[in-house]
Amino acid sequence: MRIDWAALGTVAVVSVVSTVVFAILLGLGVRFVSLAKVRSNTGASSTTALTAGYTFLGCAGLLVLYCIYLIVPQFH
Amino acid sequence: MTLLFVVIAVIVVALIFDFTNGFHDSANAMAGPIATGALKPRTAVIIAAVLNLVGACLSTEVAKTISNGFFDESLITPAIVLAGLTGAIMWNLFTWLLGLPSSSSHALFGGLIGAVIVGAGVQSVNGSVVVSKVLLPAIAAPVVAGLAAALATRILYRATRKTSSAHSDTGFKYGQAFTASLVALAHGTSDGQKTMGVITLVLISANMQAAGTGPYWWVVLAAGLAIGIGTYSGGWRIMRTMGKGIVEIETPQGSAAGAAATATILASSHLGFGLSTTHVATGAILGSGVGRRGSEVRWSVARTMLVAWLLTLPAAGLVGGLAALLADKGVGGVIALLVLLGIGSTVIWVVSRKHAVDHTNVTDSREVMVLAAAVPDTFAADSGRDSADKPAKTKGAA
Repeated sequence: MRIDWAALGTVAVVSVVSTVVFAILLGLGVRFVSLAKVRSNTGASSTTALTAGYTFLGCAGLLVLYCIYLIVPQFH
Repeated sequence: MTLLFVVIAVIVVALIFDFTNGFHDSANAMAGPIATGALKPRTAVIIAAVLNLVGACLSTEVAKTISNGFFDESLITPAIVLAGLTGAIMWNLFTWLLGLPSSSSHALFGGLIGAVIVGAGVQSVNGSVVVSKVLLPAIAAPVVAGLAAALATRILYRATRKTSSAHSDTGFKYGQAFTASLVALAHGTSDGQKTMGVITLVLISANMQAAGTGPYWWVVLAAGLAIGIGTYSGGWRIMRTMGKGIVEIETPQGSAAGAAATATILASSHLGFGLSTTHVATGAILGSGVGRRGSEVRWSVARTMLVAWLLTLPAAGLVGGLAALLADKGVGGVIALLVLLGIGSTVIWVVSRKHAVDHTNVTDSREVMVLAAAVPDTFAADSGRDSADKPAKTKGAA
């Protein structure tokens, strides 16, 4: 019985790393957008926080799109 | 004429299996969002149903054989497939009754293997392929998903430590909705193929289709609709266990679990591993429970589930084997089998009505009761109490 440890290891590494990356993007995105909202409520400038937040969320969104690309067989 | 009858019976029963596959796996994607309120129950299952249908119709290339190398496909007869499907359906229904998530893929493999053993002898099954392609990924995938989810959960809570919970909740609800949709779509593309493959295989073995061709368009559509409608019907008993029975999750955990499940499913399928979305999704939810301090993971439920998972192949195989004994006896045997399948399914359905779970009460409790008398105050005083304290009930009898 041949166990493909290399493939198993690859699955483990890829899954964990991509999930962690998504979590970082989503977490920071949510944090900065919330920060921006709080800041704009108190009248302070919120543009940097908002930009940062949306950038992170946007990257998370790109990851989601990439997943769709991977899922749909027609794309490859 | 007999052959045509059996083939039609197989197609119908295969679509019924697909329907059970749909409601069994509906929770894999949507248990999290429903439990946290990210999506309303009806909305969630509609989204999942549409995505499953779309995914199934997209995956027209049934390149993977359903046998996966477990046995020689030339041994397949419509009668064997019918028996195998019967085993798979009965196991799916039984575990649904108990509200236990279990792998429909393994149920199908088990049923077919059991039927092949009875129909063609034990030596026709390749044991080592079963281990390396089914059992090993079955252990590895949920562990990987759990690890990924645990880490992601930590990160999400860390990142939003000082964030207003109203804001982070909204953000993570979106996260849940998106990742759950990805799981549903991925599920459609992978599980949709199974039933199409089964039907196509039977049509080829009955010489009603040329070998090596893809599924007919109506097979694709029928299978897609079956799994879609099954998904919409919700499998609420399983939904309750996955969403609350194992661990009561919050929105960050839901996002983490959804992301981990998606990543593991995609990584596994792209590297050619046999995959159970149920195992991965459950592993992810467990991992997200472990990842948050103060999260109460009900390991007793997890243990019951593990037992069910270990039993899936042999149990479905047993029923499939018994069914094969009947199916081999010509038209009479096939009719008898269909009648028994109908009776068995009806009995399970009637029992389920005693403590019915549907979209209106799925989030009301973490318990799926089967035969025990309902204890009204149990749920109100529920939180924190271990299920072992509760009055004797047949839940988790497996």
